[in-house]
This record gives sequence, structure tokens and C-alpha cells, in this order.
Amino acid sequence: MLKRDDWLHLARKLDWDYSYVSEKDVFPEEISGRPWLPHSEWRDWEEAFKTSYREYVQNQHDKDAAVYAVRDAVGRLEDIQKLATPWVNGLKVHGAALPLAEFTGVISNLRGARFGRDSAWRTMATFGALDEYRHTEIPLLLLHELVRWDPQFDWTHKLYHTNNWFAIAARHFFDELTIGQNAIEAHVATNVVLETGFTNLQFVGLASLAHGAADHSFEKMITSIQTDEARHAQIGHPVLATVMKHDPEYAQYLIDKWFWRNWHLFSTLTGITTDYLAAVDGRQNSFKEFMEEWIIDQFQRTLDEFGLKKPWYWDILLEELETYHHMVYATAYTYRSTLWFDFVIPSPAHRKWLRQKYPKYWDDLEAVWERIEEHWRAAGPGAQGESAVHGSALLAFCDLCQLPLSAGTPRNNTANTLVIDGRKYILCSEPCRWIFSREPERYANHRELTKRVLAGEAPATLPALVSEYFRLTPETWGKDMQAGKYSWF
Amino acid sequence: MSLVATMPLPLYGFLEGDTIGLLILADENESIASLARKLQEAGNIRVRPRPEVQLVYQGKIIDSALSVSDAGFTALERFDVRQP
Repeated sequence: MLKRDDWLHLARKLDWDYSYVSEKDVFPEEISGRPWLPHSEWRDWEEAFKTSYREYVQNQHDKDAAVYAVRDAVGRLEDIQKLATPWVNGLKVHGAALPLAEFTGVISNLRGARFGRDSAWRTMATFGALDEYRHTEIPLLLLHELVRWDPQFDWTHKLYHTNNWFAIAARHFFDELTIGQNAIEAHVATNVVLETGFTNLQFVGLASLAHGAADHSFEKMITSIQTDEARHAQIGHPVLATVMKHDPEYAQYLIDKWFWRNWHLFSTLTGITTDYLAAVDGRQNSFKEFMEEWIIDQFQRTLDEFGLKKPWYWDILLEELETYHHMVYATAYTYRSTLWFDFVIPSPAHRKWLRQKYPKYWDDLEAVWERIEEHWRAAGPGAQGESAVHGSALLAFCDLCQLPLSAGTPRNNTANTLVIDGRKYILCSEPCRWIFSREPERYANHRELTKRVLAGEAPATLPALVSEYFRLTPETWGKDMQAGKYSWF
Repeated sequence: MSLVATMPLPLYGFLEGDTIGLLILADENESIASLARKLQEAGNIRVRPRPEVQLVYQGKIIDSALSVSDAGFTALERFDVRQP
């Protein structure tokens, strides 16, 4: 029997010359991606893990066993019920956003497994697809047990099957990133930008917060997922290196575009969990500091490694680090019935911490929370206040990121309009406008929520929108966690 | 007085101090002062109404006595309401 090292290289690097079809027919540019290059330009594609299928299965089996063990020891319903209420709601946020997004990663990796330009890339993408299937199943498994306790956990599976405004935004992102994407762009955007960059917010930042919240089941789940990500993320780097060699301008565009798209989604998703739903007592790092340490610094090293420049919007990004997720959270609090988890008003001590971490614009954000508190005091706690302290006007959304128009500062919202072929669009920020303008044929026919309302595709009143279009019910729509009964009121 | 019913004009309203842009349906015949009030009411949940405001459209302060149509508003454009 051959030893592993005698056959593995041949198995991984099994490419051949085509005799009765052209290479371009086997790997069409539309689905393999651009720049289209002959295989001779890809044959040096390599990654460090060089895993065999047998090793893969054994490793994954061991990792699954460890996840099951932690679930059985500390991840049962009675364990979750002991956790702080804000953290449980952060769990609902991530529980819903994660699993089916990971499933789109299965599709994306399978595309790489067929249309990747070198056999070692295709082998690694096959493992990547299996990884992403695992990342779909684990959160569905762990959180399913919680549905009988709290029906909002049903949104772990339900979110992406609805037209909830966050689902529209996340689907728009993942559809482009993974499902409707060619192999080159998908692997650069997913592996280089998302998996070696932004998922650090989850796998390092959120894991440490989960540890602090004593949620060891969630901590174990995301650290186990991270070990897979660290491996299959390696696909993207040699892909980017080849694109950089042949078309550096396009490489720069892909990085700039996808860093910004990731930033808005993760800021909304992880930003609010980190700074509003995780306890701040005894903790050092804010979301901004997590971003600076694990995303900004690492991203700059990645750019240097490939000879890429910082995105042109760097100063805008640094400004948004101060405000964006705060603007989204304050907005979402006042539209909490449009989402599937509950909200909390940050306490005076919490706001003091936020002011220390985000001094630049906190006065303006503090004024918003004071106004919300005035409404609670006037309406009183309970169901009456719950409906009175809630927005009723229709929110407006960005035509690129599909998220609320909450970019900029409370004094200077950066939304701007754009006309293409006689049609008007609104973009929340200059980078969203730039991305939209570069590929209007990709984005122009997708309607954000407001335009669906105006076109008669979605109900025009908030109650109908919440129940009929977002598919929320009185049991599942978001509420104030304290029903307005705050000790400092 | 026109007997022809006018369609409401959808606009994106941005209230100074607010954390979000809102969809505001304007009546073409309503005054700029009324439109500014409408946005203040829509954002009232997050921003305390102010007694004196000005409405800015396409970089210019608009006379509060003008009507929306006289001011040249077109659908799906941005306007701002802010303190003088």
C-alpha cells in the first residue's frame, strides 16, 4: 500500500489537457471568473493544509464529538435559561443570521469545487462545502431545543425564508457573495475578506464575550467552526495572488468592494450584539476596538502582503466605526417590532462606558436615548408604553446594502441619491454609491423595501408590514426586555 | 382649486439629530412648513421637535410658505429639516 506522501500530491494535483473540448468551455469565464487565464497560470496554486479526505473525516468527527460533549454538559435548555437576557437575545440575532448564510457557502464552495481553476483548489473547495454544511447544522441543532422555551428562537431557521428587512439585506449580501457569484470573486470575497477578516469578530471577539457571559455552548460552537474556517479560508489567498499578478486593478476593486459590503453587514449584526447585548462590566474592548485590533490591523497586513492599497474610503470607514452600529441600534430599538429579538435601553452606567469608548459623537446619540426615555416616562411601562414608544413612519433603506439609511452622524446623514437610466436610487454612503455605480446592471433591478412598498409589492402600513410581510407575530416580534420598567426612570 | 386628485410624492426625509432617513409622503399642495412638521412628527420618537426649523432641498433653504410643487420637489429626492 502506498504511503500517504506517495499518493497525496498526485490526488490533489490531478489536472489534464482536454482533447475534445476547449479549456474555456470547461471553465467558462461567466462562472469560473475573471481574469480568464489558461491553466498554466494556475498550476502553482497551493495551500498549506494539504488534507486528505480520510484525515478530513477523522478530524471533523472528533470536532463534532467535542461540540456534542459541551452541549450535553453545559448547553441544555436549563443552562441557556440561566444566561443574562440581553445575551440570550444576542444569541437569537446570531442564531438567525448564521446557519442559512453558511448554507449559501456550501453552494459557493461547490462552485469552486467544479469551476476552480486548479485541482488542488477544487479539492479544498470540496472540503469547504462540507465545512459549511456542518456550520449550517450545528447552530440549527443547538438552538432548536430552545424553540419550545422561546418562540423567537424559531427564527434561527425562519429568518431567511421571510421578507424581514434584515433578511432582505442579508440575502442581498449572501446571494451576491456566494450563490450568484463566479468562483474567483466568491473565493476572494469570502475567503480573503470575510473569513480571514470579519469572521474574527465572531470567532475571537464574540467567543470571548460568550465566555464572559458563561455561554460555553455558543463559545464552543463558534471556536469549532473557526477551525474549519481557518483551513478553507486558505483557498482565497492564492486566488487573489494570481488575480493580482494579471489584473491588479480588478484585485483592488474586489477587495475594496467586499470589505465595505462586509463592514455594513457585520457592523449591524455583531456591532449591536457586542456593544448593546453583551455585558460591559469588567470588559475592556468595545466593538470599535475589536474592529481596530482584529480587522483593521489584520486587513492592512493583508493589503501589504499582496501589494494592494488601502481602500479609497478609509477615512469614511474610520468615521463610521464611531457611529454606524449605534445609529442602527437606536433606530432598530424604536422599530423593535420589525425584528425577531428583544431590545434593551442602555443603562446610565452602560452609556457612560459607551461615551468613553465613542466620545466623538456620543452627545448626539445620548440625546436620542433621552428622548426615547421621555416617551417611556410619559406612556408608562407595560403594553401601553410598548406600542407608544415605537416608530410608525416607514424607514428608508439603501439600494446597495439594503440596510436602513443610518450612515454618517445624527447631524449629517450621508445618504445620497443617484440617477441611472432615468431611475432614482438612494445610497446610504459614498462607498455604497461607488459600488452601485460600478456594477449597476447587477444591482439596479433589486428593490429595497421602501420601493417594494411604493410599487405595491409590500404593505404600506407598519402593522401589516410586520405581520404579513415580515411574518412576525405578537409572540415573536421584538419588544423592550424590561417593558419600560427601568430603575433609573 | 384643482379638482384633480394628486398622488402623494414619496420623499426621503432627514431630520437633524435623527439616526435614520424616513420615507415621507408629501402632498404637492402642502406648504414647506407643513412638510417640515410632518418629518418632525415622524422622527419625534427619537428627536425632540424644535420650534424653529428650516427645510433644505438640493442644497438650498426653501421658503416655508412655498408649496411642495412650487419648490420643485420631485419623487424620491432627499430633503433635510434642521435648526437655523
